[in-house]
Amino acid sequence: MTTRGRRAVIVGAATSDYPRLPEMTEHAVHGQAADRALADAGLTLADVDGFASTGFFPMYAIGVAEYLGLHPTYYDETHAGGASFEVLAEHAAYAIEAGAVDVVLITYGSVQLSQMGRRLGTGGGGGAAAFAPGPAIYDALWGNTLVGNYALAARRHMHQFGTTAEQLAAVAVTMREHAHSNPQAQERDPITVEDVLSSRLVADPLHKLDCCVISDGGGACVMTTAERAADLDVTPIYVLGAAHATTHAMNLSSMPDLTVSPAAQCGPLAFRRAGIGPADVDVAQLYDSFTITVVLTVEDLGFCAKGDGGAFVDHGGLGLGGRLPTNTDGGGLSACHPGMRGMFLIVEAVRQLRGEGGVTQVPDAKIAVAHGTGGMLSTGATLVLGTEAP
Amino acid sequence: MTERWFPDEMPDPAVNAETIGWWQEAAAHRLVVQRCGDCRRTRHPPGPICPACRSTVAQWAEVPGTGVVFTYTVVRQAFIGCLADRIPYVVVAVELDGAGGARMVSNLVDIDPADVSIGMPVAVVWEDMGPELAIPRFRPAPTAETAEAGTKGAQR
Repeated sequence: MTTRGRRAVIVGAATSDYPRLPEMTEHAVHGQAADRALADAGLTLADVDGFASTGFFPMYAIGVAEYLGLHPTYYDETHAGGASFEVLAEHAAYAIEAGAVDVVLITYGSVQLSQMGRRLGTGGGGGAAAFAPGPAIYDALWGNTLVGNYALAARRHMHQFGTTAEQLAAVAVTMREHAHSNPQAQERDPITVEDVLSSRLVADPLHKLDCCVISDGGGACVMTTAERAADLDVTPIYVLGAAHATTHAMNLSSMPDLTVSPAAQCGPLAFRRAGIGPADVDVAQLYDSFTITVVLTVEDLGFCAKGDGGAFVDHGGLGLGGRLPTNTDGGGLSACHPGMRGMFLIVEAVRQLRGEGGVTQVPDAKIAVAHGTGGMLSTGATLVLGTEAP
Repeated sequence: MTERWFPDEMPDPAVNAETIGWWQEAAAHRLVVQRCGDCRRTRHPPGPICPACRSTVAQWAEVPGTGVVFTYTVVRQAFIGCLADRIPYVVVAVELDGAGGARMVSNLVDIDPADVSIGMPVAVVWEDMGPELAIPRFRPAPTAETAEAGTKGAQR
């Protein structure tokens, strides 16, 4: 991303164990992922001078750094929901290329699944937390849910463009096909479009199988300069371009167009910075919180025209040998979704570009896109990664 | 709506300096949006600064309380525990008449969820929660009854 000598590259990437970790704490997941990513790079914590992570309370990354025993001179905990880790990697690339830091470790960990309902005391509150003051109540007060927000977007997309429930279901079917080849995946049994449509409706038009799984898990990656990577026994993965964007926070009523996600801004920007276009992409890792998320993202990143996403993902469009092989690990819909899946997108993109994709390896993959989506379609962040320096 | 739409356990709205005026209007059954005091654009939810011109001057502009369904969902799984007995319920984004394109998320009541469609006309109906709080929801329009409910605020 710069013409100067310090090209940012990813030299280590790994997931933690997943999808069920009842014996692990959130910090332990970070630690396991960090150890694996550093080992993957042939580095140790002693080599790390920068650290990034994010979670659901302030000074989160600082706490994880302490747990890991790090005293970094660069840290970042930018929170963009599911898009956070693409943003953190972009920031790290800038900092590395600016000479502010040499080796950045980025970690993610969650035990969301195992922590559900686990609470000391009497609980209480009727399951409803008090609302915070401010504009967020203008959606929440009427009982809208996270799924409900994505359902509002899905319904609007169907209305405007004729997208069908079958086309949305096709996304889930393809992700499950990929998960079938991933021994760690939370759900591996093949499913059909009919299975998706006959699963119960959570929030019309989204069925249970249109929604991601809820998991424990995490991941980590290690970034440094291409020069430093030359001394390591790894295939460096170049950050060719990156960008992020936001259009609103938690209020769908404030989203300018419910069928256009922030990917429409940051996707083209990331491609321009990378000097390539969507047609050059061999494999994609796209945030799949819900099936509609993927349909919006393939349109907004420019893989097809706005409104054509349903047809694009249908008939195996996202499968191996399809128009755009996507989420080769099975994605959040089937493999693992611990709350903020963005790190998994980076790890799987790196594996594909290294040729370590196993059964779902896309042959000769040279350019990958990892795109995170967070909040209520609120944030987007695109990383364009490649095997060769531009 | 003769009984409460949501159970008593559903938290009341928290307010701050930006939103309390909206709720005071709502308590009097006036549905309002913010109108910029300088460029006259309307916006919702309320905020301190006009996103278009950065003005901090704004007024509450009453709208007719009618509109059309911009999009909707039927919530069938209650992630908010106290709503477990209330599902299924309809959440709508209403494009409000007279609000310059501003949309408002609310509930659509008095309708079979299977009968909801995008573009259908709706009108506000108020649920009085107490002397200081009324919550606007919407029902299909027009009927004589809803027309009365929708214009009640304007007559006050």
